[in-house]
Amino acid sequence: MQKKYLHWSLYLAGLIVLLVASVVLSLSVGEMNLGFMDIFSILRKGNGSMEYTILSQIRFPRVLLGIAVGGSLSLSGILLQGVYRNPLVEPYTLGISGGASLGVAVAIVFGLQHLIGSFVLPISGFAGAFLIIFLVYTISSRSGRINIQSMLLSGVMISFIASSLMMLMMATTSSENLHGIIFWIMGSLDEPDMSLIYITLILAFTSLVASYFFVQPLNALRLGEEKARHLGINTDTTIKLLFLLASLLAGVSVAVAGVIGFVGLIIPHLMRLLVGSDYRILLVSSFLSGSIFLVLSDVIARTIISPNELPIGVITGIVGGIVFLLMMGRSSLRTLKNN
Amino acid sequence: MKKIYPFVLLLIVCQLITQAQEAKRIISLVPWVTKSLYLMGEQSRLVGCTSYCPVEASDHIPVVANAMSVNIEKTLTLKPDVVIASSLNKPETIDNLRKLGIKVVLQPYPKSFVEICAYFIQIGELVGQGAKAKDIVDQQKVRLAKLKARVPAGKNPKVFIQIGAKPLFCAVPETFMEDFIQFSGGKNIAEALKLGSVTREYVLKQNPDVIFIVTMGIVAEEEKNTWQSYQALSATKNKKIFILDADKTCSPTPILFVDALEEMIKLMY
Repeated sequence: MQKKYLHWSLYLAGLIVLLVASVVLSLSVGEMNLGFMDIFSILRKGNGSMEYTILSQIRFPRVLLGIAVGGSLSLSGILLQGVYRNPLVEPYTLGISGGASLGVAVAIVFGLQHLIGSFVLPISGFAGAFLIIFLVYTISSRSGRINIQSMLLSGVMISFIASSLMMLMMATTSSENLHGIIFWIMGSLDEPDMSLIYITLILAFTSLVASYFFVQPLNALRLGEEKARHLGINTDTTIKLLFLLASLLAGVSVAVAGVIGFVGLIIPHLMRLLVGSDYRILLVSSFLSGSIFLVLSDVIARTIISPNELPIGVITGIVGGIVFLLMMGRSSLRTLKNN
Repeated sequence: MKKIYPFVLLLIVCQLITQAQEAKRIISLVPWVTKSLYLMGEQSRLVGCTSYCPVEASDHIPVVANAMSVNIEKTLTLKPDVVIASSLNKPETIDNLRKLGIKVVLQPYPKSFVEICAYFIQIGELVGQGAKAKDIVDQQKVRLAKLKARVPAGKNPKVFIQIGAKPLFCAVPETFMEDFIQFSGGKNIAEALKLGSVTREYVLKQNPDVIFIVTMGIVAEEEKNTWQSYQALSATKNKKIFILDADKTCSPTPILFVDALEEMIKLMY
């Protein structure tokens, strides 16, 4: 028992060190390369220099948003996989990204951002995501009880409908709008509105704390819904609340940063392979590694073909996918050797 | 005298052939070609256009295409002499139209003021108005020469033309936007780039003296505010961050090009 906790503490300490290292790397690397010590002296000197502007108004907000969105997506993924006990479920399987994209497409096509302001995009994204969640939830709940399998199916179906509706929007709009929608779908951490970044960050950390109230039910659910109920867990309420929490996290992330794929799917799996299946360590380690992964992906996205920038979704998809396949290969090799 | 007759006859035949080749019913799938026809006063020849072409609603020109696809059946029923398409149209669509016996002209996108003028004259010739188009081009070249003479020598401010927000897009060399900067005596901060999507950091590092934002509506205002929030930026210090009308600046026709350039020079100095 003691050994397990020691392992967990080591993992946690390692992840925190990695997060700090990726934050420092992200603050140092870019158009202007700044040394670790330079960062402090620039910050001490304060406003006025170009270096200070780049650090405080460009790199710092990106890092914060990377931590918030990476953590949120990953936490959302691990919660949903826990609820559904299905390894292929991620925030986007349930139509959350489809709904958010549809919301944004509607806003762009009707020119709402030109009329009201570009903050209308995250709001419509969030509204779209929640409309889909509401639909999935209503369709799958019968007399107060949730049917998990039908929830998954209806999520996938509604997701298809949403993406078809989006294609319809794209087919009937102008090329400028088309361009706007496509780039929004690819996702980006370039968000100049600091208040939006702080909201996402606060929500991410509050949700991480809140998810710890569900550690016991989540661990019990690993045995199956029936057995969890026998262990005295109110599975219906747990599933409902966890589903809402995961949806809120994914909805807000998609609304602020666009559709950034694979984080919610790959990071939870990777963490299961590394730290095991106990949710006590899995929740926080998934959150931290999601943050690390997104901050590092952003560094790659903005430096690999510098000064041009790649959409971050491209990097998370390629890097995440390859790392995951490598890990899978290693673990199956180990299983073969053990047999 | 008799020797002249064959010449006159030949001239008449040539004229008849030219008139027969003149496209009377045109479908334009390229917005700036549509605009060019309007500038020549030849819009009556348009029998079809795209949903985003700059046409007068009172002309009631049928829409045959949107940003993604062309309605081939409708195109066919409008019996065009020629369809003007661009590389943005799907190759399958163009092949299909050609198979159906419709003449399709693929219009490349102009990369410089020289090409803008050449293509404008080509379009003019297509509708039998080559001389008129050439006249327009000559007038604009005179205007351009006068404008260039007004540019103060030796200043060469660093210029950033932003043509998109989220992702940030800038005007790069080998586009007619580059000519705006060259003709106005500026220096493009993106002169070494091939791709237009850049990071904000890149723009800040290049520290432009003048920023032109060519986007629409409130997004342009928000971008202006974002750039103004960077106090260390030269353009912010100089108060040289301007929003330009996208329709005027991005439409590669000789008249609008010179109009846009005139406005830019006025704002820069």
